[in-house]
Amino acid sequence: MSDRKKASLLVVVIDTNPVWWGQRLVDQPDKSLTQFLDSIMVFTNSHLMMNHRNKLAVIAAHTNQSCFLYPRAESREAAGGGEPGGAAGAHDGKYELFAQVNEQVMEEVKNLILTSLEGHSETDSLLAGALAMSLCYIHRCEKESFTGEDLSSRILIIKGSEDNPAQYMNFMNAVFTAQKQNVTIDACILDNDSGLLQQACDITGGVYLKIPQPSGLLQYLLWVFLPDPTLRLKLTLPPKAQVDYRAACFCHRNLIDIGYVCSVCLSIFCSFSPICSTCQTTFKFMGLPKIAKKKQKKLNP
Amino acid sequence: MASTLSGITSGRKIDCKDLHSYLRTLSASILDKLYNHPATCLAVFRELPELAKHYVLRLLFIEQPISQSVVSLWVDNKCHSEHQEVVHVLTDIRVWQEQPLPGGMQGWILSPTFRQNLKIALLGGGHSWTGRSHLPPDKYAKDIAFLDKYAMERWECILHFMVGSTEGTAGVSRDIIQVLLNAGLMKESSSDPLPTISPTGFQFLLMDTALQVWFFMLQYLEMAESKGLNLVDCLSFLFQLSFSTLGKDYSADGMNETQLKFLQHLREFGLVYQRKRKVMRYYPTRLAINLASGISSVNSTPHAHGCIIVETNYRVYAYTESPLLIALIALFCEMLYRFPNMAVANLSRESVRDALARGITAEQIINFLRTHAHPETYKVGQVIPTTIMDQIRLWELERDRFKFTEGVLYSQFLSQSDFELLRDYAQDLGVLVWDNPSKRVMVVSRAGHDDVKKFWKRQKAGNT
Repeated sequence: MSDRKKASLLVVVIDTNPVWWGQRLVDQPDKSLTQFLDSIMVFTNSHLMMNHRNKLAVIAAHTNQSCFLYPRAESREAAGGGEPGGAAGAHDGKYELFAQVNEQVMEEVKNLILTSLEGHSETDSLLAGALAMSLCYIHRCEKESFTGEDLSSRILIIKGSEDNPAQYMNFMNAVFTAQKQNVTIDACILDNDSGLLQQACDITGGVYLKIPQPSGLLQYLLWVFLPDPTLRLKLTLPPKAQVDYRAACFCHRNLIDIGYVCSVCLSIFCSFSPICSTCQTTFKFMGLPKIAKKKQKKLNP
Repeated sequence: MASTLSGITSGRKIDCKDLHSYLRTLSASILDKLYNHPATCLAVFRELPELAKHYVLRLLFIEQPISQSVVSLWVDNKCHSEHQEVVHVLTDIRVWQEQPLPGGMQGWILSPTFRQNLKIALLGGGHSWTGRSHLPPDKYAKDIAFLDKYAMERWECILHFMVGSTEGTAGVSRDIIQVLLNAGLMKESSSDPLPTISPTGFQFLLMDTALQVWFFMLQYLEMAESKGLNLVDCLSFLFQLSFSTLGKDYSADGMNETQLKFLQHLREFGLVYQRKRKVMRYYPTRLAINLASGISSVNSTPHAHGCIIVETNYRVYAYTESPLLIALIALFCEMLYRFPNMAVANLSRESVRDALARGITAEQIINFLRTHAHPETYKVGQVIPTTIMDQIRLWELERDRFKFTEGVLYSQFLSQSDFELLRDYAQDLGVLVWDNPSKRVMVVSRAGHDDVKKFWKRQKAGNT
């Protein structure tokens, strides 16, 4: 009955932008980060429950840093958590591993929030950094996994805050790396539609879904994002959204529909400049193209 | 004039059920009771087909029945047959039940106990799995390396006992022998006070350790019921063990009579470590925890400490000191040399045929070599050379050239016409196996013997 099951590694990137979550709390006081984290943790537990070889990593994309929530970095494991959820696991009927994971995630989120209280906050999160971290982690796991065992990996980004076009370059580089490494990127959008993530999901073959009802987050996660890509082929999933393929210009980081492209290095600019700022190529300004004139001459006589 | 030829029954293949087929053998009431423990639900859930897992999770937080037609819309049209299969599986092991909806349609609803306990495993709540929650730190705390060594020692004891070597077999108790006998892995002979290994036993030896433990536990549970142990208690404890953390101690407080007894047996098999019988504290070992992987399927995961290299010239090198492993290799190889840290053997036609004659199949030999392969061989890409695999299979096929049919030989006919008469009669009935007109002999299958004999008697009576 059991067909050959592959171990699967899921990296969940959670957007913990304090500005966005704070604003949200003002609008809808009943939907706080804690409740969303609860849903997400049920989801991660379900992933671990699917198969005993499944692995999990949780990364927080904060406004000024990205950090691992689970598994804890080894250096901190030795220093901070002497007893990784040891006694706590036995409190109730929850499976020990789940209890341990949840506890650690909770603790790390608390740490993260407490340490980032000072300093000013941006309205966007360091998504590109978190994505790069998850790709590095995936790469490491694949190298460490026993030869002969296949590991299929994917990334799920749960995002609320706005896009930052300033990250466009880094983000797209990470996305193309993911595509090359056969890593699927899924995006679960809580609030603002994100052009960057739409492109990322489209390129890597993942699912992009803006949750219509944030209160039903868990059910959406279990329905759309829990099945792995091979199973998804068999399921009826929400139709693909229209992808916003606008690129950000390299000069002002604005998203543009039409722009100028350097013919040498393919950099994109929103306004014309005679010297490409990326590769320093100088464009000779020729005036009006001559070909058009020649054609006219031929036609006239 | 008729004499009997005896037929030979071919070796029976060992029948190792996975969790699902095992559950199917249990009655509905036992199944419902089983689902009363979160660990069982977790184990059962993990063994479901992928699609079924998806269904269960989607239904988990819906408290009302969902129409069957809605559920069938969850999958793509192309996979309809798979959907049917999954529906069948889930109904079979009573994970979900049919319930009519108000509109007269049929709906599915998860079994309430299953739903509740799976939720507990996933979300928390309910009682702790192990009686009392807190244990003071153990003075005699054991590390993982110790537990691994202990578990392997205990388990190899049983295997040693099976192959009849004397090493440490004193620790094998009457109970274990009983299980081995019951499972048909060993058989009692009148000449020897100790039982000897059976053909199934050889196949058992070549299985993966996790699979061995699972098979053994299944046999044990079958017996446990007749011994008055509560099957449900035992199974849920077993699953609970398989979900515990390696190297951590658990309290045996609050366990009932059955479970305590069961714990003592598990200690004997090496699935748990307990320092003393009286100490209410136990450590699950890797054997118990790997149970969860053993039940999953026949395809085995490669060993971390593999040590066998097979070369295309039929040489087998085993970098090991374990006498058990060497004894196992000797089952189907000719041992050539033995060095302090390695042994060299040769796969030959005779040695493999000997193994085949003992009831071991070619697939089992190949599987054994593959699971114990040296990690270096994975880097080359080919774990066992193809020629070797093919040759072993060919040696097995070689034995299948004969087809044995039970039959009765008719000979010494007085005239050719008598012979032809009887032969034609048998041929018409379709019971003729073989005939040779020049020697006037024929073989009739056992089923047709009576008819042919009667016909011949009538014939003779008519003639005289």
